[in-house]
Amino acid sequence: MESNPIPELLPGTLYLLILRTLSHGPLHGYAIVKRIKDASREGLRIEDGSLYPALNRMLVKGWLTSEWGVSENHRKARFYRLTPEGRKQLDKEAGEFDRLVRAIQLVMRTA
Amino acid sequence: MAFWNEIGNRIAWLFRRSRFDKELEEEVRFHIQARADELQQAGLTGADALRQARREFGSTLRSREEARSAWQMRWLEDLASDLRYAARALRRNRALALAAVGSLALGIGANTTIFSIAKEALFSEPSCRDPQSLVLISVSGNTWIPTSQYRFLEDAHAFDGLAGMNIQLVVNWRDGNRSYRLAGTHVTGNFFEVTGIPVAMGRPIERGESDVAVITHGFWTRRLGGDPNVVGRTLALDGKPYTVVGVLPRDHRMLAGFGFTPDLYLTKDPGEFMLYARLPRGMTRQAAYTRLQPICREMDRAYPDANRKWAKEVRLSAVGGTERLQEEGGSGVMPVVAFFAMLVIITAIVVLIACANVSSLLLARAFTRSREFAIRMSLGGSRGRLVRQLLAESLLLALLGTGAGLLLDLWLTRLLSRVHIPTPLPIELIVQPDRMLLAYSVALAFVVTLATGLVPALRGTRAGIGGALKEGGRQTGQAGYTLRNALVVGQLAVSIVLLSAGLLFIRNLIQATSFNAGFDTTHTIVSTIQGPSDRRGFVDTALERLRALPGVEAASPASVVPLNPFLAFNQPGGQFRPDAGSRTVRVQYNSNAVGPDYFRIMGIPILRGRTFLDSDRLGAPEVVILNENLARRLFGNTNPVGHILRFPNNRDTTVVGVARNCKYITLGEENAMAVYTPFSQQAARGFAHFFVRTRSAPETMVRKVDEALAGLDAASAVETHSMGEIFTGALLPSRLGAAILASMALFGLLLASIGLYGVLLYATEQRMREIGIRVALGATPGDVLAMVVGQSLRLVAVGMAIGLALAAVAVRPLSMFLVPEVRPADPMNFVAVASVLALVAGLATVAPTVRALRVDPAVALRHE
Repeated sequence: MESNPIPELLPGTLYLLILRTLSHGPLHGYAIVKRIKDASREGLRIEDGSLYPALNRMLVKGWLTSEWGVSENHRKARFYRLTPEGRKQLDKEAGEFDRLVRAIQLVMRTA
Repeated sequence: MAFWNEIGNRIAWLFRRSRFDKELEEEVRFHIQARADELQQAGLTGADALRQARREFGSTLRSREEARSAWQMRWLEDLASDLRYAARALRRNRALALAAVGSLALGIGANTTIFSIAKEALFSEPSCRDPQSLVLISVSGNTWIPTSQYRFLEDAHAFDGLAGMNIQLVVNWRDGNRSYRLAGTHVTGNFFEVTGIPVAMGRPIERGESDVAVITHGFWTRRLGGDPNVVGRTLALDGKPYTVVGVLPRDHRMLAGFGFTPDLYLTKDPGEFMLYARLPRGMTRQAAYTRLQPICREMDRAYPDANRKWAKEVRLSAVGGTERLQEEGGSGVMPVVAFFAMLVIITAIVVLIACANVSSLLLARAFTRSREFAIRMSLGGSRGRLVRQLLAESLLLALLGTGAGLLLDLWLTRLLSRVHIPTPLPIELIVQPDRMLLAYSVALAFVVTLATGLVPALRGTRAGIGGALKEGGRQTGQAGYTLRNALVVGQLAVSIVLLSAGLLFIRNLIQATSFNAGFDTTHTIVSTIQGPSDRRGFVDTALERLRALPGVEAASPASVVPLNPFLAFNQPGGQFRPDAGSRTVRVQYNSNAVGPDYFRIMGIPILRGRTFLDSDRLGAPEVVILNENLARRLFGNTNPVGHILRFPNNRDTTVVGVARNCKYITLGEENAMAVYTPFSQQAARGFAHFFVRTRSAPETMVRKVDEALAGLDAASAVETHSMGEIFTGALLPSRLGAAILASMALFGLLLASIGLYGVLLYATEQRMREIGIRVALGATPGDVLAMVVGQSLRLVAVGMAIGLALAAVAVRPLSMFLVPEVRPADPMNFVAVASVLALVAGLATVAPTVRALRVDPAVALRHE
């Protein structure tokens, strides 16, 4: 199931990034990509092609819900919203990610 | 929980699949448009921006496909499409599918039916509250405990309750001007309270009540016409009015187990009880035992008895399920368990033979399709996928076969629950489908799927791409051939085993039917009468009446009816002292108290000495007649007449005669010992049997005898049968065994011969070209015949050899179900079985041979 479309991303971090991005409020797919690109100052790029499979897998897991709305330039777009389960998942994954990064940094500095 | 949510989401998705695709496409289009808008703002022209955005996005098709696969339950959809495909394939081959499903259904139906019955008869839990904490108590190695000892044990308050039940009693029910014998279970007042047996209507018997009864559903519907106002109604039982307080539910399962079902429960003290104790919560049986043991020792002090020590062999046993079986393993239950086990195995073998047929058919199809498989594999289809698809076909067959088999099972068990089985004991089995049956059937379907499908699927797809395409499947065809031959050999071998078992049971039935019971059953009527108040005078009047009937030659009372388990001999064992000397001989013997004419009525010759006389009555010297076996055992070759015999209870009697041996309890028994005492020297008992010898056929006289006795005493219940009827009951197990086994064996043989036929025909079709060439080159019809028949002979010979070797070992344990005259090792059995198989195999060979002989070289060479 889990394809790894972006070699630059650590495995599994795509979900984390999407969850985090949506934690401020619902966004459509394109906005998610853009928000991640901007926030990382173009350091992270999500391939457009792998975004939608990831979003759908998260819908299946019940972390997100989706609904149709109107975009800022007045087009019909699908907006994704975090569910309570999604928020729980975000907390969990964020904590795990922090621990992982701290551990890697420790190793990099001391070893 | 998350897992189930996910499954729910996926299933919900299945229902909006088409909308999903459309929306996803729209969403992707929006994404690309949004990017293009942005690029346009950065300075690109409209067309360039759109092109750039598209390029950046990559394959929209792949993206959408991946998004969709996030939702899909791949295996389920694959399975569904495989099943659809399999259904189509089966529809094209309707005859094949029907034959396969039909044979599987018959086998599975028989198998699950026997499973259901065995489960109900052996493993069912009794209807009561928390059977786990209820135990059956036995002291001094006996479950029958006298009332005074029951009171003693109850007063000790060792448990949460102690209740008694006596199932062995016959109750007279006076209804209008007729009396009927009912199977009554006598219970202590607290019985329902302690056991927590639920009632469907009214209420249970309560502590301290007397003269009340709870009736079973069967008695209520059969004998009382399902009277809705039955609660409160009075029944005249044994001359006393009893009030019906409750009706048990239809599915009431008695504590005694094995389907035993009385007509009613009533409060009465029959003198001895089986005791059931309710253990306090959490108390183990071991703990209960340590609590009971000292109480029994105390009982030994309170009721000293030279013959038994209460504290000896104290036991607490489970009341239901497998535990009870294990505990009663030593007693009469084991043969029943073994019998059911044998039937389950036999029917499972039939299922296997059916599986072999189906497997063989699928194998043939898999090989004819091997070219197709090779092409599919060369186009990138995985072998696993192909195997799965082939397995789907056998799964479908297995499901259909099991489904049809279950329907058959339901029908059969329904029939069985409704039909009253003519057993001497009131037995009613409530066989109902339940979760266990379902689980068993699912497991069976699974096994059938693998048994029929796995080998064809693996072998059919094994060839690989190159071989199959090059040679058009010739090579693999050869391999499949060997496999199918092996299957047929296996079927034939197993059929031999089945046939041997079936034949043994048929011979057993023939033997049992023609059995010389040692007495004459053709002109004898037996009438049983229960509960005359003044017995001595009653017996004399009854005999006078009977002898006065026209057509009656002689009449005699007896205390026991031979070959009737319900009224059976009890077999006391003890030490006899011939000539009242110091030599003791320990024997198990049957004992009957009979009138002077008994031997004449039954046609049992007195070989030495004399029969009883009217003068052998109470007060006169006690006399006894022995059968030959016992006479020889006690006195050797000396004539025992005139010798004194000291009974185990130290009573001295004089031997006055020796009667010829006959059968007493079962037709199969051998060398049984028997003692006859004069009926009039017996202590009075609650019931008597009257044996009547008629001049004409007894059937016409049954009614007259019945009426003559019924008119004597209104309070007594009379039941009259011809001896032939009683005999039929004794033959029931043999009949049942023979019917089931013989039909299973014939069915197995039929399936095996169909298998043989199929393989031979297939082989002939495959070798059509070869046969054509041979004929063209000058082979005679004799050569062609030899070819086909030769193959058949080889298969049958190998199958027979293996089968006979198997059967010689496998049927040996069956001797426990057979009369001694039928020996499983008898070579005649195997000769007969082998001839039957050879005959049927010959018939199965005819059509393929004819087919081969008709081969026209000109046509055959163009074949393919």
